Amino acid sequence: MMIPRRPLSRRTFLRGALGGLGVALALPPLEAMLGPRAAGAQVPAFPPFFGLFYWANGTPWHARHGGEQAGAGYPDLWTPGTTGAGFAPSPLLEPLARHRPTVVTGLEPHTEVPPAPPGQEDGHMRGFMVAMTGDRIRPEGFDHPSHTLTALSPSLDQYLARHPGFYETPPRFRTLEVGVSRARFHDYGHWNAISYNGPDSSNLPIMEPSALFDRLFAVPPDTREADRRRRLLDAVLGDANTLRAQLGATDRGRLDAHLEHVRTLQRRIEVATPHCEVPGRPGDDGDLLQKTRTMGDLLALAVSCGLTRVFSVMLTSPATTHVFSNLGVPEDMHKICHDGRWEWVRDITRYQMECFAAFLDAFQAPQPDGTTLLDRGLVYGTSEYGEGWKHSVKELPVLMVGGAGGRLARGVHVREVDGNLCRAQLTALRALGLDDAQFGRNGAETADVLPGLLT
Amino acid sequence: MPERSPTPVRRPPLVHRAAQVLLTAAVACAPLAGCGDGALESSPAELGSYAGGGTTPASDPDGRGTGGGAFPGSGGGTDEPGEDPDDETAGTGGAGSSPGRPPEPFAPSPPVMPRLTAAQYRNTLEDLFGPDLPRTPIEPDTNPYLFWSIGAATTAVSELGVEQYAEAAFVVAAAVFADEARRSRALTCAPAAADDACIDAYVRGLGRRLYRRPLTEDEVTRWVAVSRDTAEGDPLRGAESVLAGMLQSPAFLYRIEAGEPAPEADGGSRRYTSHEMAARLAFFLTEAGPDDVLLDAADRGELVSPDALEAQARRLLSTPRARAAVQAFFAQYLDLGRLEHIELDPALFPGFSRGLVRAMETEVRLLVDDLVFRRGGDIRGLFSARRGYVNADLAELYGVDAPGATASAFVPVTFPEDTPRAGVLTLGAFLTMNAHRIETSPTLRGKYIRERVLCQDVPPPPANVNLDLERAEGDPPTLRERLEQHRENPACAGCHAFIDPPGFLFENYDSMGRWRDAVDGYPVDATGDLDGVPLNDALDLAKALSTHPRVGACITRQVYRFANSRLDTRGDRAALAGIESAFAASGYDFQSLLVALVRSEGFRTLAAPEVLP
Repeated sequence: MMIPRRPLSRRTFLRGALGGLGVALALPPLEAMLGPRAAGAQVPAFPPFFGLFYWANGTPWHARHGGEQAGAGYPDLWTPGTTGAGFAPSPLLEPLARHRPTVVTGLEPHTEVPPAPPGQEDGHMRGFMVAMTGDRIRPEGFDHPSHTLTALSPSLDQYLARHPGFYETPPRFRTLEVGVSRARFHDYGHWNAISYNGPDSSNLPIMEPSALFDRLFAVPPDTREADRRRRLLDAVLGDANTLRAQLGATDRGRLDAHLEHVRTLQRRIEVATPHCEVPGRPGDDGDLLQKTRTMGDLLALAVSCGLTRVFSVMLTSPATTHVFSNLGVPEDMHKICHDGRWEWVRDITRYQMECFAAFLDAFQAPQPDGTTLLDRGLVYGTSEYGEGWKHSVKELPVLMVGGAGGRLARGVHVREVDGNLCRAQLTALRALGLDDAQFGRNGAETADVLPGLLT
Repeated sequence: MPERSPTPVRRPPLVHRAAQVLLTAAVACAPLAGCGDGALESSPAELGSYAGGGTTPASDPDGRGTGGGAFPGSGGGTDEPGEDPDDETAGTGGAGSSPGRPPEPFAPSPPVMPRLTAAQYRNTLEDLFGPDLPRTPIEPDTNPYLFWSIGAATTAVSELGVEQYAEAAFVVAAAVFADEARRSRALTCAPAAADDACIDAYVRGLGRRLYRRPLTEDEVTRWVAVSRDTAEGDPLRGAESVLAGMLQSPAFLYRIEAGEPAPEADGGSRRYTSHEMAARLAFFLTEAGPDDVLLDAADRGELVSPDALEAQARRLLSTPRARAAVQAFFAQYLDLGRLEHIELDPALFPGFSRGLVRAMETEVRLLVDDLVFRRGGDIRGLFSARRGYVNADLAELYGVDAPGATASAFVPVTFPEDTPRAGVLTLGAFLTMNAHRIETSPTLRGKYIRERVLCQDVPPPPANVNLDLERAEGDPPTLRERLEQHRENPACAGCHAFIDPPGFLFENYDSMGRWRDAVDGYPVDATGDLDGVPLNDALDLAKALSTHPRVGACITRQVYRFANSRLDTRGDRAALAGIESAFAASGYDFQSLLVALVRSEGFRTLAAPEVLP
């Protein structure tokens, strides 16, 4: 089945831009008006995409995590034995070997930890937030016993998707967020999502492949219906304009965030739907690995046909309570970490890497021009801390899969003991074409990329 | 010194205020290092525990959220578990001021802007257009501070959420206009043109119900124009568009309150307008938008007097929606949502099933309905009542006779004096939620009593502690002894001496709530204490709680938060004390508590919002 492309007339475009409330609407480039790939040499044939892939509870602990972990006597099954190119994959990275990941080891958060409120150094809070945002958690409102916390800064996916150097005009979906495991440590806040716009503003993941399919490939409204919807959104914005005046600063910010999304919907009506070969609607059955694979298949398609260039995947939620009964593990993962069940954590970590590899398979499939999506973009895999037994934030795992259009070396192991985790993030951002001088906040600022990765 | 803030005040971020509630308590039994508690950190069973459940009214004396000034030790607040310095005298539970010092005057807070919760959204549409409307997903609620209403007032909606509102609006509007019966509820005339008098009246009528106030003339003009511009020759099509559009408007999706100056009799403070009060009453007591009776009263400007509000509240409390809303409050207060995540080891708990968990939840709901609506009485009986409602599975779990009970039929029972069941703390839901998959957790059970039943703060365990309770070589055989061992560590003793003793009282109930006399061959020792008063078991605790002064105060405070969609502040203390007095005078009748709250200045008045240029 194919979704017919609706050509976008200049008249339609101008009416949308100038009607309504004089809402700021960036002019779409010629490319968007002519349809993808029509603008010729002015734009790169394949602008890079970025994926953020998250798994919970780090890796199995070993001596390099320090403290009691060092005394526990377990081997390091994560870190490859040699650095540079051509390293032999470690036992836990074997499942990913077919995708030639670049592996970064030894990094840790360098953010300062405010003295109060207590508990901010915990891996679930500090490690997670630095891994996702390059910043610490927001101290105001943080509560360790109830694990109530919120981000200060946007997560990497949102940072990139709102960066003027990344999108000239966002495609149909600025970002997409998906998740796989439904187990949750808490029912609120960052335990439900890994993608943030900023404080108290999460992007909850889509949890079912069928729902992702529906969102991606819904038959777009015809011209008449599109006109009607646009007209309604004009009126919605008209209502909002009066209401804004009554609000204090905080709530005005919340309303403005809502209105920005309304304008995104309006814009989505304006831009042409890219041409996609639509597959069959997937079911939602299957184990964690199968669902992860299906999500990967759909997102790879979305990237290849220009529906989006940024996505995030929450395989398991932070501090996951997922029970990996398929591996013979009887209790939830967070508990077995704390109970010191190293062998189970090892098996689960390997399984999570199998899921990651399955997710990536469709990105590794050859495209019509002989390249693969992974050649063009970058999927950045990471977790919340180094290990889950004591929540050490040392040796926080980072994987970068893909060549980012030839700007990132593939299949390289870089080891930076006690290095600033934000260096990996800055490296990824630079590989994606951003010219940010530095990344990281609140003590984690860095202007140094990792050595030997950018080409 | 706390003083009434000059208005307009800058409203601190709500979460910031909440932080201070917590921060002030963290000094209390702050342990030093190196202990294991085995529960606070290591278990998913604490899912849904919440911030701000403390003894501590926000240490934010002027409502400005001054940040570091309220950090532990900086003088912003000094509450310790069980020893609220403003609360030594029994009876206020942190809600009011103490005798012997001048009471702090009530200081209103600026308004918050809650988004409709999912329940409020769906109920409102159902009230307008009838049941069984098609459902599409809408953004889930979040409850970082116990109640959905507070999450709805603090978080921003996502892009997907706005997309889902749009989709839901089109689906609902299409369903309403495809069905004559539904359509005629909103469109009571036959339009001849898409902008005629009929459409004008329709826009005004629909807008009044959805926006919960009369539309401004600008709004009327705007939506009549929408009808005209989208009708394409079919006025019904235009009318459908109006509905689909209004359902996406922030005026419907958010509760925007600005208040109005109150007459001089109220000391020049601000009060919510009659229309704002109509919405506040309706969303609080029915989880739905205001009905025509409320809006008519608001149009007449009546909903500013306590008596008028009481009359409306009592009317609403007689509706089925109110019964559901009260259930929603108790489900959030008692954390029943956590039951959904409970998994027990099937080998050890062969009777465990999703059906059993659902029955545990149902029995709590039936008891709540009994105590609030059907028979009424002292709501504190929730923690001590000898009566309950069981189905066949629960009757077997508790070992009680329940003639007529089946898997789906619940029957009322009176637990005999020689059975160990009295109140929800001795029933399946509490006992199961606050236990591990195999072992029980006196710590989690004690924490729930402290935080939820008594509104006391439990500080975090120290960082980097050994949280294992794995049995090591040479360890004593029982969980109690292992926990006692941890409590000998001075770093842990402070908090665990506070948390564990009430938790030990439940050791006769296993992780599924079954009675047991022995564990691993060792007889159960279920003795413990509550704040130094020795108790023999959970029944002793139930008896103590039935008259415990903190219980009523804690319920008052939680309802106040639920109703106002925010945590309480120091400025709310006088209002809380007043509500609690009325609650006590009624014999702790829950409906009387709701009425007292509705009459209170804490529900009727506000500080001016900070308005930007």
